[in-house]
Amino acid sequence: MDAYLVAMLVFAGFYALMALGLNVIWGLTGMVNLGLVGFFGVGAYASALLTSKLAWPMPLGWAAGATIAALAGGIMALIVARLRGDYLAIVTLGFAEVIRLVASNEVWLTNGTDGISGIPGPWRGAVTPQQFNLIFLGIVWTAVAIAFYLLSRASHSPFGRVLRAIREDEDVAAVAGKPVLWFKVRAFVTGAAVLGMAGALYAHYNAFIAPEGFAPLLTIYIVLALTAGGVGSMRGAIIGAIFLITLIEGTRFLAAAVPGVTPVQKAALREGAIALTLILLLRFRPQGLIPERTRTKA
Amino acid sequence: MTTFSLNRRAALLGTAGALSSFAIGGKLAAQGAPITFGVLPPLTGAGGPYGPAMLRAVQGVVEEANAAGGIRGRQIRVVAEDDQTNPDAAVRGARKLIDVDRASCIIGTWASASTTAVAPLCWENRVSLFTVSGADSITLLPHQGYIFRTQPNSRLQISTACDYLMSKGARRVFHLAAQSPFAASSQEVMVEKFRAGGGAVSGYIVYERDKTAFRSEVDQIMRSRSDTVMLNGYLPDVTILLRELFRAGFEGRRFTFAYAANATTFQSLPNEVTNGLITFQPSPDLDSGAFNRLKNRFGNVEVDPYSAQTNDHATLAILAAAQAGEATGTAIRDNVRKISQGDGEKVDNVTDGLRLIAAGRAVNYEGASGPVSFDERGDIQGTKFRYEVAENGRFRLLELV
Repeated sequence: MDAYLVAMLVFAGFYALMALGLNVIWGLTGMVNLGLVGFFGVGAYASALLTSKLAWPMPLGWAAGATIAALAGGIMALIVARLRGDYLAIVTLGFAEVIRLVASNEVWLTNGTDGISGIPGPWRGAVTPQQFNLIFLGIVWTAVAIAFYLLSRASHSPFGRVLRAIREDEDVAAVAGKPVLWFKVRAFVTGAAVLGMAGALYAHYNAFIAPEGFAPLLTIYIVLALTAGGVGSMRGAIIGAIFLITLIEGTRFLAAAVPGVTPVQKAALREGAIALTLILLLRFRPQGLIPERTRTKA
Repeated sequence: MTTFSLNRRAALLGTAGALSSFAIGGKLAAQGAPITFGVLPPLTGAGGPYGPAMLRAVQGVVEEANAAGGIRGRQIRVVAEDDQTNPDAAVRGARKLIDVDRASCIIGTWASASTTAVAPLCWENRVSLFTVSGADSITLLPHQGYIFRTQPNSRLQISTACDYLMSKGARRVFHLAAQSPFAASSQEVMVEKFRAGGGAVSGYIVYERDKTAFRSEVDQIMRSRSDTVMLNGYLPDVTILLRELFRAGFEGRRFTFAYAANATTFQSLPNEVTNGLITFQPSPDLDSGAFNRLKNRFGNVEVDPYSAQTNDHATLAILAAAQAGEATGTAIRDNVRKISQGDGEKVDNVTDGLRLIAAGRAVNYEGASGPVSFDERGDIQGTKFRYEVAENGRFRLLELV
C-alpha cells in the first residue's frame, strides 16, 4: 500500500507541475491552451532522446526538455498572436495532435508508435523499486516547490499584473502602453517550460514513452485539475492536481466497495463518479477550491 | 571479554530463533491466505469491445480451479482493473494491483503501448506478465523472463502470410499499411520473404488511418501492376480501400487480417465488392478440448482469440504456481515452461492439471489458443493460422494451417 501511495503522489506531482504551467498561460493570461500535452510530449521526447541516445546526464536532459518546450511555446505564441477564445483553443489542440503525429511517423527519431523504452531513471536498478519511488517523489515535489515559488512571485509582480490585465481586456492593456504580444510570448514560454519539465521528469520516471501517452485525455485531466483547484491561483493548481488524483484513484476503491458490481460495471461507475463530482464541483463552487485572490474584483 | 562474546552469541542465537519462529509462523499463516491474480484488460476505450470477455475467461478458469481445491489448498482471488486502453492509466492500474493487492501475476494487457508501459513495473517487482499484445518490441525488452506472450508477434504473422501467398502463386505484392507499430517491421519481413521466394514487393505505402479517401494510394496500386495487395490496416480504412479498389477495377488478389474485415464489412459493402477477399488470423485451436470448454462456458457464443488467450494465461499461471508449490511471480515465471511444454501428460483444463500435479506427474497444457509453448524470449510457438475467403456475404474456411 505504501508503495502505491508514493507512486500516486509522484503522479500528483506531475499533474501539479502541469497545472502550474497551464495556470500561467490560461489562468493568468487568459489564453486557452488545449495543447498542453504537446509541450509535455516535447519535453518528454527531448529528454528521453538526449539521455538515451546521446548519453547526456539526466539533469541536463531535463533542462533541455524544458528549454525545447519553451522554444516551442514561444513560436506557438507568435503563430497564435491574433487568435482568442475558441479559435485559440482549436489551434492549440491541433498543435498537440501535430506533435503526436510527428512522434508516430518520424520513426528514425522517435521509434514511431513503438515508443522509446528503457529510458534511464536516477539510480534505477541500483535501488529497490520502492526506494526509486521515494527518490522520484523527492525530485518531483522539489520541482513543484521551485515552480510554485517562482510562479507565485511572478504572479504577484508587475509582470503578473500585466498578464491579468491582458486576460481581463487586451485592448485596455495595449492602450495603457503594455506590449501585449511580448507579454503573451513570455507567458507562453514560461508555461511551456514548466510543462516541458513535467514531461521530461515523467519520461524518466515511467522509463517508457509512446505517442499514445500524449493523447488529449491528459490535457482534459489537467484542465479539470486547474478548474477544480481555482483558475489563476497557483495554490489552487497544486490542490487541484492532488484532488484530481485522489478522485481518479479513490473511485477505484469506492467502486470496488459497492456490492454486486462486475468489474466492467465498476469501470463505468468509476468514470461516472469522476464526471459527477466534477460537475457538482463546478455547479456549487465555480471559482474552484482555492479561488484566485486579487485586489480588484472583476 | 569472553563472557561478553558468549553473551553476544547467545543474544544472536536468541534473535535468530525468534526470527525463524516468526518466519515459520508467517508461512503457516500464509498457507490459508488467498492468492491474488491481477487482470488488466481494456474495459473502456478502444479495446473496450474485447476486455470484458477477456476478463470473463479468466474468472471462469479461476472459479474452476477454486472448485478443484485451489493451488495446494489456497484459493485464488481475481482483482481486475481497467487499463482504459491508455498507457498512463495502465501504469496506475498496475501499481494498484502490484502494491495494494500484491498480485503475483498480471494477465491480459491488450494494447502494445500499455503492455510496454506496464512491463518494467512487472519485472522490477517480480510479477509475471501475460499479454495478448503483438508488437515485436515487447519481448525484446530486458524482462528477465517475466513476460509471456500468447499472441504471435507481427513478424511471425506476416512471414506466415507471405509463405501462404507465395504458395498460391503471388509474385508481385503491393503492401499498403496503416501507420502502426507493425508497418515498418511488416515491410522488412515481406521484402526479405518475397526476394528469397523469387517475387517482389511491388510497392509500399504507409497511410494515415483516419483518412476517408484513398484515391492516390489506389492509383499507385493500379500503376504497379501487382497480382496481390496486402491490406495491412484496420476495419474502417480497409473497408474504404476495398470499395475504392473495386471502383478502380483492381482484379488481383486482396489479402488482409481478419480483424480488418469481418461481418460488419459485409453490412457496409455489397457482395460483389467483397467477394474473393482473403483474410487470415492466428487461430484459436477450434477443435481443442480447451477451446470447446471455453465456448461452453461462454454459452456457445463466438469466442474471440483474445479470450482464448486469457483463458490460457490464467490456466498457465495456476498450474505453474501449483507446480512450484508457491505463488510468487518468480515461481510462476520459473515454472510456466515446465507445465506448458515437454513430455508431460497432455491436459486441456485446470482441474485435470491440478490433479496430476498434486499426484506428482508431469503435465503439458494444451490451451484454447493453441499448444502454448514458449521460446526463451517468452514468445509463443506453433500457433495455427486460419485463412478464409469472402463469398456472398460470409466467410468460407479455406485452410487451417
